[in-house]
Amino acid sequence: MTIVIDGRELQPPEPMERTLEALEKLGEGEDILLQLYCQPHPLFNILRNSGYAWTDNLLADGTREIRIRKSPG
Amino acid sequence: MHPNLSFEQAPPISVPYRFLLAAPWFGVLAGFLLAWVGGDVLESRWTPEVLALVHLIAVGFMLQAMSGAMFQFIPVAVGGNVWRPLLVANVVQPTLLVAAVLLVAGLLFSAPALLSAAVPLFLCGVGVFAVVVMLALWRTPATGMTLWTMRLALAGLVLTVLLGALLAETLARGLALPLIPLTNVHLAWGLGAWALMLVGAVSYFVVPMFQLTHPYPSWFARGFGPLLLLAVLIWSGFWLLDDKSLAQAAGLPLAVVCAAFGGTTLWLQYTRRRKIDDATSLNFRVAMIALLAFALSAASMAVWPQLADDPRAVVWLGMLVFPGVFVSTISGMTYKITPFLNWLHLQRLGAPISAVPNMKKMIPGDAMTGQFRLHLLALTLLLAAVWLPALARPAGLAFAASCAWLGANVIQALKNYHRFRDQIRASVLHH
Repeated sequence: MTIVIDGRELQPPEPMERTLEALEKLGEGEDILLQLYCQPHPLFNILRNSGYAWTDNLLADGTREIRIRKSPG
Repeated sequence: MHPNLSFEQAPPISVPYRFLLAAPWFGVLAGFLLAWVGGDVLESRWTPEVLALVHLIAVGFMLQAMSGAMFQFIPVAVGGNVWRPLLVANVVQPTLLVAAVLLVAGLLFSAPALLSAAVPLFLCGVGVFAVVVMLALWRTPATGMTLWTMRLALAGLVLTVLLGALLAETLARGLALPLIPLTNVHLAWGLGAWALMLVGAVSYFVVPMFQLTHPYPSWFARGFGPLLLLAVLIWSGFWLLDDKSLAQAAGLPLAVVCAAFGGTTLWLQYTRRRKIDDATSLNFRVAMIALLAFALSAASMAVWPQLADDPRAVVWLGMLVFPGVFVSTISGMTYKITPFLNWLHLQRLGAPISAVPNMKKMIPGDAMTGQFRLHLLALTLLLAAVWLPALARPAGLAFAASCAWLGANVIQALKNYHRFRDQIRASVLHH
């Protein structure tokens, strides 16, 4: 299952708050799709230090699609 | 709790705060100085009082706020790690503060010893800051135009300070250097290649994020920084070649680049996805309108040089830029930086996300919009005072009051951080 968080029309730190809440509920094999117009470096730091992996894909309209899941192993 | 979340050690909250707490009080001093002198003080850019006023804003208000904001912005926006930020801030912030006071006093009282004393302090303070920040900006794995434009801005700061040091020594020791061309080159690097460049870099990131606009078009973000740098280089070249007519005409490309940035930002605000009229959006709107007015005035003076015959014309440009563009932008940014700082550091305490107060609770909304309205009144009076000397005193008082309110709002934000931190720690212990 993918949890979609469209943060493009939310004021910070709401996208990060929603992502942190979703991480707490994230099960094995599930992922989060976060959509933003920027690279959320504070969130990346948290993910890096907390055992999550992510991919960051920039779309033509400026949207960044960040897909987050638990790191394998 | 966040049992599985680990928050990276970012700069201690005191690092950006110590700069942001100091900045507004230089604005208060500037307002009181204008109110104290009053009368015809704004008749020319070369009076000791105007030189002191300009530097209270430029190296007091602006340099303090912009340096502090960079300490916070680099980890958040470009993922860079500043080397030993607490140590660097403890050295740089007081050094720049003392340097600013000495420079302003030296200009105001025409005291060569004070000017000469300020120079090594500026070179050390900005030198340490620039080396440490440039290392962070080069070592980050991030990419994008915010990063590149910040690098350009930092180079602009270094050149501004070197030129400023040369000018201060020229005044202090009576060196035989051309003061007017050097001053014009110094201000183009300071206002253009440093200050506006940094506003551009930060805006690419924060305007879409906090004002919920579309992103800046990628062609614009790629072109703005290099074109601004090119326009400053052309301006500098003609002034240093001592060709006054070409130098005046070189104001035109600078004006066009400024207008492009102001116009694009206003367009993004106008077409934004959600209409939010908080103090940050309002401050940015005023700043961009002031930037457009500056560009229009400067372009008119480039095309019709006789318009600049009245020495007040250049003071008008300065008034549009310093309180109009930069004090507005910095105030608007302060109202996002301080609540976000609070929120980020409160998150790290390990309380449930729902227990961390919303960013809107860090500074009361009424206090921010009230201060914005007073700033708008002060700006209007300041612009009018350029042409109506009787307004100089009320304009100075209004500006001092507005900056004091900004300073009080930053103090309130820090007090709220401490209050919420103590509440969260108590609740974590309780559970």
